Amino acid sequence: MNSYFIGIITFLLSGFVALLFSNKNVKIMVVSLISMIASVLTLIPAINVLVSGQNLLQTLKFNPLLGDVNFVIDPLSAFFIIVISVMSIMGVIYSKGYLKPYIQKGKNINAHLVFLPMLIASMLAVVTCQNALMFLICWEIMSLSSFFLVIFEHEKKEVIKAGIKYLVFMHLSVLFIIIAFAIASISSGSLDFSTFAYVLQHNKHLANLVFILAFIGFGTKAGFVPMHNWLPEAHPAAPSYVSAIMSGVMIKTGIYGILRVLSLVHKPSIFISYFVLTIALITAIYGVLYAITQQDLKKLLAYSSIENIGIIGIGIGVGMLGLAYNHPIVSVLGFAGGILHILNHSIFKELLFLSAGSVYVKTHTRNIESLGGLIKSMPKTAILCLIASVAICGLPPFNGFISEFLVYFGMFNGLSIHNFFAMVTFLFAISGLALVGTMAILCFSKMFSITFLGLPRSEVAENVKDDSSKSMLIPMGILAILILAIGLFPQFVFEFVLKPVSIILGNINISLAEPVSIMQTISHYAFGFVGFVALMIGLKLFLTKGKIDLHETWGCGYDRGNNHVQYTASSYVSPFLSMLKPLFKKVFDIEKPRKLFPKSAHFSLHIDDIEEAYVIEPILKSDEWFLSKFEGLQSGNIQSYIKYGLLFLVLVIIGSLLIG
Amino acid sequence: MIVKFLNIIILLFMPFIMMGLIKKTKTFWAGKKGPSVFQPLYDFIRLLKKEFVISKTTSVVFRIAPVINFSAILFAAMFVPLAYGSALINVSAGLIIFAYTLSLGKFMSLLSAMDTGSSFEGMGTSREACFTTIVEPAFFITIASIMALSGNYTFDSLSMLLSNAGTYGVLITLFASVILFIMILVEASRVPVDDPATHLELTMIHEVMILDNSGLDLALFSWANSIKMLLISSLIANMLIPTSLSEWVSILLYLLVMVLVSLLIGTIESGMARIRMSHVFEFIFIMSSLALVVLSLIVARMFGG
Repeated sequence: MNSYFIGIITFLLSGFVALLFSNKNVKIMVVSLISMIASVLTLIPAINVLVSGQNLLQTLKFNPLLGDVNFVIDPLSAFFIIVISVMSIMGVIYSKGYLKPYIQKGKNINAHLVFLPMLIASMLAVVTCQNALMFLICWEIMSLSSFFLVIFEHEKKEVIKAGIKYLVFMHLSVLFIIIAFAIASISSGSLDFSTFAYVLQHNKHLANLVFILAFIGFGTKAGFVPMHNWLPEAHPAAPSYVSAIMSGVMIKTGIYGILRVLSLVHKPSIFISYFVLTIALITAIYGVLYAITQQDLKKLLAYSSIENIGIIGIGIGVGMLGLAYNHPIVSVLGFAGGILHILNHSIFKELLFLSAGSVYVKTHTRNIESLGGLIKSMPKTAILCLIASVAICGLPPFNGFISEFLVYFGMFNGLSIHNFFAMVTFLFAISGLALVGTMAILCFSKMFSITFLGLPRSEVAENVKDDSSKSMLIPMGILAILILAIGLFPQFVFEFVLKPVSIILGNINISLAEPVSIMQTISHYAFGFVGFVALMIGLKLFLTKGKIDLHETWGCGYDRGNNHVQYTASSYVSPFLSMLKPLFKKVFDIEKPRKLFPKSAHFSLHIDDIEEAYVIEPILKSDEWFLSKFEGLQSGNIQSYIKYGLLFLVLVIIGSLLIG
Repeated sequence: MIVKFLNIIILLFMPFIMMGLIKKTKTFWAGKKGPSVFQPLYDFIRLLKKEFVISKTTSVVFRIAPVINFSAILFAAMFVPLAYGSALINVSAGLIIFAYTLSLGKFMSLLSAMDTGSSFEGMGTSREACFTTIVEPAFFITIASIMALSGNYTFDSLSMLLSNAGTYGVLITLFASVILFIMILVEASRVPVDDPATHLELTMIHEVMILDNSGLDLALFSWANSIKMLLISSLIANMLIPTSLSEWVSILLYLLVMVLVSLLIGTIESGMARIRMSHVFEFIFIMSSLALVVLSLIVARMFGG
């Protein structure tokens, strides 16, 4: 456990050590090297816990206010530590290549390099801390440091706007978490999670209340609809590797919170289980629906993160229903699928964000309508991105399939619960997940083909000459190997995931022979498939040697078609959008050609988030009206501010006298 | 053993004959003689010998996509019970592996079409991708409810339906067959969803996606597509054929169902025109509503009186 704390402190220090150097490239090198050491230091105890199955515990003595604070690494924490350490370090290594153009422009990166490892350290502290107050402190450090990372390009107005929105949402979220913890701690008389567990397991109503509050709070961090709104704003604003860390790792701390509270509550009520499953389904469908409409590469990925959080949530919801109906196999499979999807999503989403970053570095645009044909200039990035795209659609033989299969399998087993509501819910959830899967295919076939295939749609895409640098490709390659490895060896991963699951369920004392044997079948199947495809491709190369004739694309006899006749991202999804018209708010910006010799004309289509347009905006408007009534208080002279302060103190004293 | 071998033979060659039968039926209704039912097989062999013409715009994705698509459909076939006996890999929730492997093939074929940079192919691709989003959920809900009824989560549950569920079983089989038949029309791109015989690129869906493929690639795409048709028809056959029969009788019955499906497709193609593109969605949505009917029938059977 000591090496864990040393690791966290090393993370914290790495940014400050880097300040001692003057050369900016050296600074980044220092941060990545020290972080690498730190991540190894934190990984050792985590792997130790997963292998031995014995929890590590350490009590730190803080000042009288906090008292003794327990830090515990149990398998659930260990799982998250592995996700955080491995995935974050990939982002840190990648940052060197990404920041290069910024360094050349002379941008100050000192603060950025301090906050980047600080974010990682705070996440590592969050997933081990067992004291509610300390947890909230670390949580807050995490939110704030990521806020500073988001506003890296703070000279841009929209970045600041996105950052503020992120900050507001994070504080809404922490408000709910504070209330949940406060209720639990008042009724248990302590700040320690283990005492919470005792009280929550003996008082059903209290447990429900705390879980719902915590679900809203942590769910906001994770990005569950309707509290998802910060995600599609904050991710595009941040540098790509920061979005990769945020989307791949940081939002998962929200899931961690939900799972942790669930392990304290132990047995959720049936109603709450249905609630979680429903919210998760809505989240998944909503996320992918809007991912389809996006033309901004990173916004698309952000919405797809919402979708995947939904899939994780479906897994958790299925697990909770299994718990509520006392059907252990359903809960094991549901939680195992959900938890494995946390790992899987962090891998492929990180890879996707990193490839989006590589594209952005080369083309300086995130608008996929002006990209195209990049597979020819950036072949390695393109292939890595293709692997991630296939994986995120949940297609075999990659990792996304394994976790989605476990969730599905849990739902199929759930069909045997002889209960009307349970059966109908599971059937709809199965077809809902299928709907999400097919829409993901639509979304990522669009994303990949418009970005990388066909002809360049603009000069920026045409002018890309070379692939990204090695320091960017290596972490991406490692991620791609992880994607394939999990897809090919699901049986080991399944057993690995069962340990964190056992923290939520207590002990797993049922036979898992069937899922294990299916995992083995999938493994053989995947190997067979990969082998067969390789064989076929080899055979095809052999058979068609020298028989290939290059020509133009068929254009009905015209062979002077240019890049502007290609299908665009918006036209690609337009049949789909026209089918689901009422779900979107389309904003057209049209300037029609006028007169005989039209000088200019343009057309653009932009699709607004329906929640943003119909819920958030009106609330903000009414807020503005309400808050404007208090404008008079801000007089600008110090005397009156001192007066407010005194008034407040007097009120507090009177209040405490009255209560005391 | 010999039956397993026969299953593989049927899987690989019956699709050609089904295609030939569809053409034969169409020529019959048009009052012509038409080519032999083996013509698609001859076409296939002829394509294998041809040289390739490949667009300069394309990349490696275009080259590997036909192979991956074909392999995916072939591997998906392992999860479907064919002429006799259970599927080669008979596991619970095999439906998921089956459907997702098929989707992998579809994903690659979408990418390969987009790789050519042609606007026609973009058009076909976007339609195809869009149709799938309606087909798949309806398919899942239908099969999953049938599985829920029998309590067996392999494809074997399809063959138990008729014998176990009485009158409800007949009704469910009827509706589920219609759902699967519409799925064939969509997935194998037949009239009224898509017209494979049209010569106007604007109105094609599947055909336009393989516009730039030639030689071996084209052969693999069309073979894979007809295998997909056979697989979905096999699901219908599984529901209709009772399990208690001897192996040769069931194989004969299976082949009969395949022939009937082909004749039905051919007759529909002769009898009606392709639906207007904007109305195709409404046609495919029939699947979803029928799937809900199946769901409610099964709920009624399990929980009603």
